[in-house]
Amino acid sequence: MEKNDYAGYPGVQSRMEFLKDEKKIDESFYKLIEIKQLTDETFSLKLPKARFPFKAGQHISVGIHGNYQSREYSIYSGIHDENLEILVKEVENGYFTPRLHKLKAGDLVEVHGPFGRFGIGPIAAEKGKFVFIASGTGIAPFRSMIRSYPKMDYTLIHGVRSSKEAYQREEYDPARYVLCTSQDPKGDFQGRLTGYLKKCTFAPATQFYLCGNSNMIFDAVEILQKKGFKREQIHCEVYF
Amino acid sequence: MKYHLITLGCQMNLSDSERVSAVLEGMGYIRTEIEEEANLLGILACSVRQKPIDKIYNKIAEWNRWKNRRSLITFVSGCILPADKEKFLKSFDLIFQMSELAQLPQMIREYGIVTPAGLKQPSPVMPKNEHILEMWHIQPKYQSTYEAYVPIQNGCDKFCTFCAVPYTRGREVSRPSAEILEEVRHLVSQGYKSITLLGQNVNSYGLDKNGEELSFADLLRKIGEFGKASGEEFWLYFTSPHPQDMNREVIEVIAAYDCLAKQIHLPMQSGDERVLIKMNRRHSMEKYRQIVADIRELLPQATLFTDIIVGFTSEGEPEFQNTVAAMDEFRFNMAYIAMYSPRPGAASFRWENEVAAEVKKDRHRKLSEVMKVHSHQYNESMVGKTVRLLVNGTDRKTGFSTGLTEGKLIVRLDQKDDSLLGKIVDVKITSAADFSMSGALQMVVSIPV
Repeated sequence: MEKNDYAGYPGVQSRMEFLKDEKKIDESFYKLIEIKQLTDETFSLKLPKARFPFKAGQHISVGIHGNYQSREYSIYSGIHDENLEILVKEVENGYFTPRLHKLKAGDLVEVHGPFGRFGIGPIAAEKGKFVFIASGTGIAPFRSMIRSYPKMDYTLIHGVRSSKEAYQREEYDPARYVLCTSQDPKGDFQGRLTGYLKKCTFAPATQFYLCGNSNMIFDAVEILQKKGFKREQIHCEVYF
Repeated sequence: MKYHLITLGCQMNLSDSERVSAVLEGMGYIRTEIEEEANLLGILACSVRQKPIDKIYNKIAEWNRWKNRRSLITFVSGCILPADKEKFLKSFDLIFQMSELAQLPQMIREYGIVTPAGLKQPSPVMPKNEHILEMWHIQPKYQSTYEAYVPIQNGCDKFCTFCAVPYTRGREVSRPSAEILEEVRHLVSQGYKSITLLGQNVNSYGLDKNGEELSFADLLRKIGEFGKASGEEFWLYFTSPHPQDMNREVIEVIAAYDCLAKQIHLPMQSGDERVLIKMNRRHSMEKYRQIVADIRELLPQATLFTDIIVGFTSEGEPEFQNTVAAMDEFRFNMAYIAMYSPRPGAASFRWENEVAAEVKKDRHRKLSEVMKVHSHQYNESMVGKTVRLLVNGTDRKTGFSTGLTEGKLIVRLDQKDDSLLGKIVDVKITSAADFSMSGALQMVVSIPV
């Protein structure tokens, strides 16, 4: 029934307006556009453009409509990109990621955020010298930073088991991207990224951003501190 | 019509309960402490540990049995995990977020009326705090005439791995500073002596407003200026701050104004770098050490409190020993020590709970012993000194009056005098115990208005 049918009955009309408002889908929900398979286990989830401003490096909370669990993911897309993206590795026998993987275009995904201070603002991005250290899908916030600030002076060190996990490496400047592979010989460095890190020298004012599993972060922080870098130069985002 | 309200958990829930009471009494309900005579029964829930959640399930089962004999309405609000919310929907008559408190009278009046509005729409799992500002407009019914809580911030964006608060309270929202200042002014004019600014991350205040609101340091400065101009004696506290957002400026402001209490509660959670990373605390021990150094330099008289979790996943004996070493280094006046318990909704709930219950108990006992020694030594150092005290209760054993110093240390008086309740007095410390001191009344300093 149209609202004009209630002309002359203001109370009823306002109640119907109230109901109409309630039927709007909450703005926290996004319709999934695409799931893009990057490896057997890893995929990116593409959503409409973010309805909030964010800083490259921040994370969001992602839930599935009708499910009471949610997880936090770093934003994989840049601040100017047309779509909001996250990078997901499916956990074998896990609860959440297999369900996320099964979603189809048009399904509703609940998004809250952005959260966190693991980010670089536009002014800092153009001034500093950055080393990004990522294990596995921990590359996500760095892709966001690099896409957001193409002129940034960075080196990206990416540790994975095999070279097929070098997600979308063609997007990065080959002179700035170092792939460390622990289980195949196709990386720029064969071995764990911590092994590579031990061999490197960095400029004293470098800002280090670390993202990935906690064991990699523990070890990388220790290596950098042994090299004389202060803890305040080392920024961590732990994946669980 | 009578209502009965059970408040579980932290000071934030206590503060919220004062606003719930105000709303219900505004509808004509009268508070009763006897559940059996209430027509409206409510709970403000706490999800930090399992015990209060178990209590809610037991309570609602009992209340629902009573419905066979008489008509009553039940409600639940506060910190509720999404999974519990789903279950509570089946057992409670009403469930609402605190940000929806202003709509509670309408919910009660319309209870039982089926409307199209009840049709299921996608509703978000994470609470939305867009209406929390309306909740703060409700004038609370303060439960004390000399101690009050003032909420300044709600929610949490930090995602510590042991905690589910981002999913029970929603994201960080700051209350307008003008309202906070007005509430503090009102309380001081009414003679309140102890006022506590509350928030899940109280010193993240203003950060959600992108420069359009005062910083936490500026808010404290404004209150300090007001306190100075008022000429009234009161102590203003805040809890809980997060080390990530604690800075030297905040400590400098506290040092500059008498009314800003020289007591800091700074949750450390662990003294081990690796455990802090695993907890996703986003501060290092280096940062924590620097804050404590600033406190000791600028506020040498301040007492320092903390929170610690023992037995967190991955805490081995070396990591635990680092926490013991940090306790020895910082010599807290009080540490609230908790044994780690996995909470549904928190990231760590999905991990193996590696530390055995017996080991947790043992670490809790050892750390409590360390705490006891430090507290006793500090208390001993106070013997013979005269301290200012807010009398706030009666000792259960002796029946004598008790109070808290500006640093929130417990002092037992050598007499019982109910007329001292709510007054600030000077007391000479005569003896020290592990977690308290005894003292002789010297002088009554101020009388509530």
